[in-house]
Amino acid sequence: MPSINTPKHPTRLSPKTEAAGHGKRYWRSLDELADTPEFREFVEREFPNRAAGYLEGPDRRQFLRIMAASFGLAGLTACRWPKENIVPYALRPEGRIPGVPEQYATSMELGGIGHGLLVTSYDGRPIKVEGNPSHPSNQGAADVYAQASVLELYDPDRGKYPYIKEGNQSRTVSWPDLDSFLRHHFSTARLQGGKGFCVLSEATSSPSVRELRHRLLDAFPQARWFEYESISGDNERAGTQIAFGHALRVHPHLDQAKIILCLDADPLGAHPAKLKHVREFTRGRDPESGTMNRLYAVETHGSTTGSLADHRLALPPSMIEPFALALAAELIQQPEIQLPTSAQAIQEVLNNAPTDAPHPEWRAALIKDLISNRGQSLVFVGYQQPPFLHALAAWLNDLLGNTGRTVTYTRDELYQGVTHAEAIRALTEAMKSGQVETLLILGGNPVYDAPADLEFPALLANIPTSLHLSLYRDETSALCTWYIPRAHYLEAWGDTRAYDGTISTIQPLIEPLYGGRTPAELLARILAGEITQGYEITRQTLQNLIQPADFESSWRQWLHDGVIADTAFPPVTPSIQPSRIAAAWKPSPTEGPYEIVFIPDSKLYDGRFANNGWLQELPDFMTKMTWDNAALLSPATANALHVQDGDLLRLKLRGRQTEAAAFILPGQPPQTVTVALGYGRTQAGRVGTGVGFPVHALRVSGAMDFSGGLTIDKTGRVYQQACTQDHHAIDLVGLRERGERVHELIREATLENYQADPHVFHHEEHPPAQLFAEHPYEGHKWGMTIDLNACTGCSACVIACQAENNIPVVGKEQIRRGREMHWIRIDRYFSGEPEAPRVARQPVTCVHCENAPCEQVCPVNATVHTHEGLNVMVYNRCVGTRYCSNNCPFKVRRFNFFNYHKHLEDTEKMVFNPEVTVRSRGVMEKCTYCVQRIEKAKIQAKNNGRAIQDGEIVPACAQTCPAQAIVFGDLNNPASRVSKLLEHNRAYAMLGGLNLKPRTVYLARVWNPNPELVEKEDDHDSPTNHGSA
Amino acid sequence: MDFFSFPKWTNFVPPALAIFLVISSSYAATLLYLGGSPRTTDVGYMPKQPVEYSHALHAGDLGIDCRYCHNTVEHAAQASIPPTQTCMNCHKTIRANSQKLIPIQESYATGNPVKWVRVHDLPDYVYFNHSAHVTRGVGCVSCHGRIDKMDVVYQAETLSMGWCLDCHRNPEPHLRPAGFITQLDWQPEGDPVALGKELRQKHNINPSTDCSTCHR
Repeated sequence: MPSINTPKHPTRLSPKTEAAGHGKRYWRSLDELADTPEFREFVEREFPNRAAGYLEGPDRRQFLRIMAASFGLAGLTACRWPKENIVPYALRPEGRIPGVPEQYATSMELGGIGHGLLVTSYDGRPIKVEGNPSHPSNQGAADVYAQASVLELYDPDRGKYPYIKEGNQSRTVSWPDLDSFLRHHFSTARLQGGKGFCVLSEATSSPSVRELRHRLLDAFPQARWFEYESISGDNERAGTQIAFGHALRVHPHLDQAKIILCLDADPLGAHPAKLKHVREFTRGRDPESGTMNRLYAVETHGSTTGSLADHRLALPPSMIEPFALALAAELIQQPEIQLPTSAQAIQEVLNNAPTDAPHPEWRAALIKDLISNRGQSLVFVGYQQPPFLHALAAWLNDLLGNTGRTVTYTRDELYQGVTHAEAIRALTEAMKSGQVETLLILGGNPVYDAPADLEFPALLANIPTSLHLSLYRDETSALCTWYIPRAHYLEAWGDTRAYDGTISTIQPLIEPLYGGRTPAELLARILAGEITQGYEITRQTLQNLIQPADFESSWRQWLHDGVIADTAFPPVTPSIQPSRIAAAWKPSPTEGPYEIVFIPDSKLYDGRFANNGWLQELPDFMTKMTWDNAALLSPATANALHVQDGDLLRLKLRGRQTEAAAFILPGQPPQTVTVALGYGRTQAGRVGTGVGFPVHALRVSGAMDFSGGLTIDKTGRVYQQACTQDHHAIDLVGLRERGERVHELIREATLENYQADPHVFHHEEHPPAQLFAEHPYEGHKWGMTIDLNACTGCSACVIACQAENNIPVVGKEQIRRGREMHWIRIDRYFSGEPEAPRVARQPVTCVHCENAPCEQVCPVNATVHTHEGLNVMVYNRCVGTRYCSNNCPFKVRRFNFFNYHKHLEDTEKMVFNPEVTVRSRGVMEKCTYCVQRIEKAKIQAKNNGRAIQDGEIVPACAQTCPAQAIVFGDLNNPASRVSKLLEHNRAYAMLGGLNLKPRTVYLARVWNPNPELVEKEDDHDSPTNHGSA
Repeated sequence: MDFFSFPKWTNFVPPALAIFLVISSSYAATLLYLGGSPRTTDVGYMPKQPVEYSHALHAGDLGIDCRYCHNTVEHAAQASIPPTQTCMNCHKTIRANSQKLIPIQESYATGNPVKWVRVHDLPDYVYFNHSAHVTRGVGCVSCHGRIDKMDVVYQAETLSMGWCLDCHRNPEPHLRPAGFITQLDWQPEGDPVALGKELRQKHNINPSTDCSTCHR
């Protein structure tokens, strides 16, 4: 976006729009809201930055000269294309049919928690990840990390050989040399009882690794094991320890709850079990069932849960605890709450709570809801909040009768009694005092993400022997003596546990590309045991753990299912100890002038996915920013500081500083800066190095999640950001038209209004008369519904589509020109006040209009309509006129301005789906309803002489959606899910008034606000006021 | 002033030139059209294979069914070239000492596959599915010709899009009962078109002419 020179961002609608007397007005960015002259200019050019020139590099004259020369050289070579070879197997495995993909169940571990997946293997290489329907957490869905992990497998920047660092030089070593070093070094260490030997591991729930850890600590009695993860559930464990006396794991059951309060929690967006939570939450939000749950969110940054909440408050982090204390104090005063005598101490604590906590009317309404829904409500606290708050929430849930119903607890069997923060501190103490001679780092990247005050990099450089087992040669590997390539989960045997404890198996889809090892295999080698292969280790572990009657057939069943049944952690019924909770409270002073919140990035997590092009290019679910992180500010704060989007700020916290570009995000709490972790890496690979700003320099022990005492200075420099939120604005006339139409594009209402008037979503439809005969679609009639009430904006569909359809990554420069290639985009609109907006989201793909504007203007008939209703794109006919994209009112067509697949390494080509053409330069592409899946199902059904069942064809986006928001099927089948959904009163066609007859129909969003709080809101912004005429 | 006087014969130059240009351009166009058509460039393509495998011997004289080797043709898009293992099913003992079989035996021993040269090569943007055709009653000979008479396989039909559409628009002449798919010399008793019509009706054969059937 061009740099904006507006002096301030107003907090009211611009006068022009107010005068127009609109009802609910939607806006995609603050520039649009403010209607600045620069924004108008940006909008005027459909393809901004055109003046910069089409071609970078040689100028036009030079280009023509080169082209002329090459024409002269081109002669008439053979009249036939180059010959192609067919290379069959020498020995074909039984049952293998070349060209027919197979699916295998496996699991991926992230942050120590396993996720169950089904991976499609095409001719022996994995190309697509889906969720495992049998897995209790995933239930068939997969998130962005899982979908993008297949690209990580084929990343050419992965470490390919072991390396040794001698002095300042690094050189490769062979695996046998590495093994002989390990043998030699660790047999010496064993003789010394393991003195000076430390292991730093990332969080893992693998039973095999645990088993090997025990054996290691037996064989090396003086060795120490530390577990560190920069994004950690420490606080929750410490909180339950306070409340119940043991560290427990908290399991919310959102489908049982009618009222949900999230205190800086994000169960729907940033939680290990988020896929399950989304599914449960959506189930409780069906307007047709008559009752909907109600979600209240109090948060310190814009999260997924907050954007789905019926009521949301944005507070600086220092205000969360006072708010919670005030809430608790007011709650226990209600007559329906019977306080046991043991609660005496807490009562005293709450009496000392501040009485002037803001938003008392909000709390009053919330308390009323909680009281009238005792046993069906839930108070849930986020992992970033201190342990006391977790303990307090446990107590409140107990008071409200929720324990055992909407929230259950299990033992956290992976917790060894030491938090991650304590572990890394203890390790650095040991390193400082010279006690560490050998440090084995299993995964993770502590040089990048250890707390900055511990000075881990300097200490690591002084360790005599350090080994790093990692996928990439990253920042940590650079400082270690040895680097050992790690096997990706798609090429390894192993095991892991889901959030609820269910053991999930990991089986490889391909031999390790670079001969890497898993942590279990490396530990086995260090132990110099006989069994060093992951396959044998896993079998042994599971046999000892489960002890089935018939191991071989059980083993095959487990591998087939991907999960071992009945291995979830057993629930416990703990008894709450309020006195301990009271004793744990200590006042925390607020520090000004600003506060900072560190959040895991929605795409890169803690930085481990920085080299993944798909994830870097995915627009962030809230800011719609690609290839960057930013310092997120609220409009009021930015106003006060005279800061605009892209201004480079210097953030200083307790003597440390870093720079970050500002981005103004409506809904950010005041006086708070939110920054995403995972950027600013220096050794991530060709994609991730140097992308974004490193904010981990500000993260110190004790303040890893948020902190006060931040100062913000302007550096005076400006930074270019690549944001997709304002793309496709067409021109000023188009912008105005669109602005007036957005409430037709995204339709919302409250439950009350919807129940009072079921046709509230159809008042403004004026379908025009049809001039010519309609085409009768006999046979299959494909259609799709997208439920806006279910969509959480997680963007898993975007990555799934990218993986399935070979969609290229174009890079930051091209994104700034509006050339992103994603076939499905999630539009994000704000409405209401910039300081406290409501968020509306809409996934938009090609809607396969029956009267498609694009088909009518293609000069070469490259886009045509099939007899089943698909708008089909024929790449080989397309000449690149781009008239179709011009004519598309939804702007869902994507043009290959360059050959984005030109410079690909061999391994990168392995990720392509062979069923879909890989497009070259000059060709238009768009969503095809996954026509390759449709054709495959049709052919299979016909070959077997049967009809296609409903639910047999699932496009990639529909398959991965955790909320099951996308449903695809045959409209000519009255029993199909999609036909039934179309009969809903919530169903509407986007831009139906243009007589496009789209096959993708949206189901409107229904909110369930508390009637008491709704009156407070301006009628102007009422969700159902669509404006007067 | 002096005028240059053109000799008389130059009167014939413009019309002669015009006629020459018309004839030569239409000649060139016809030459390129016919020369570039798949019938010229593709039919008869007979590349040299790494192993002197003779279909005329195996499929013709010995009568081995197509599907013995190309066994995935009824289940998958590709009628795969058989793995070396299939050859060795017989050739472990039969003619085990033949010179011509050395590459096969090497492949079987080392596990390195044989690099056959593709004869029937469709462009990459065309997705053809064998099982959809074979299970519906299109015989192998309709597209591949009399393989059982070829010592070295050559492309018998043009396999151009127009040629495919000719059948998709009018499949009756090319349909046969399912049992005769691999019988390359089968002729129907009576009128092939009438039989085709009957089969079409019976099996509800509606070949699609939508673009996305093949181009995706």
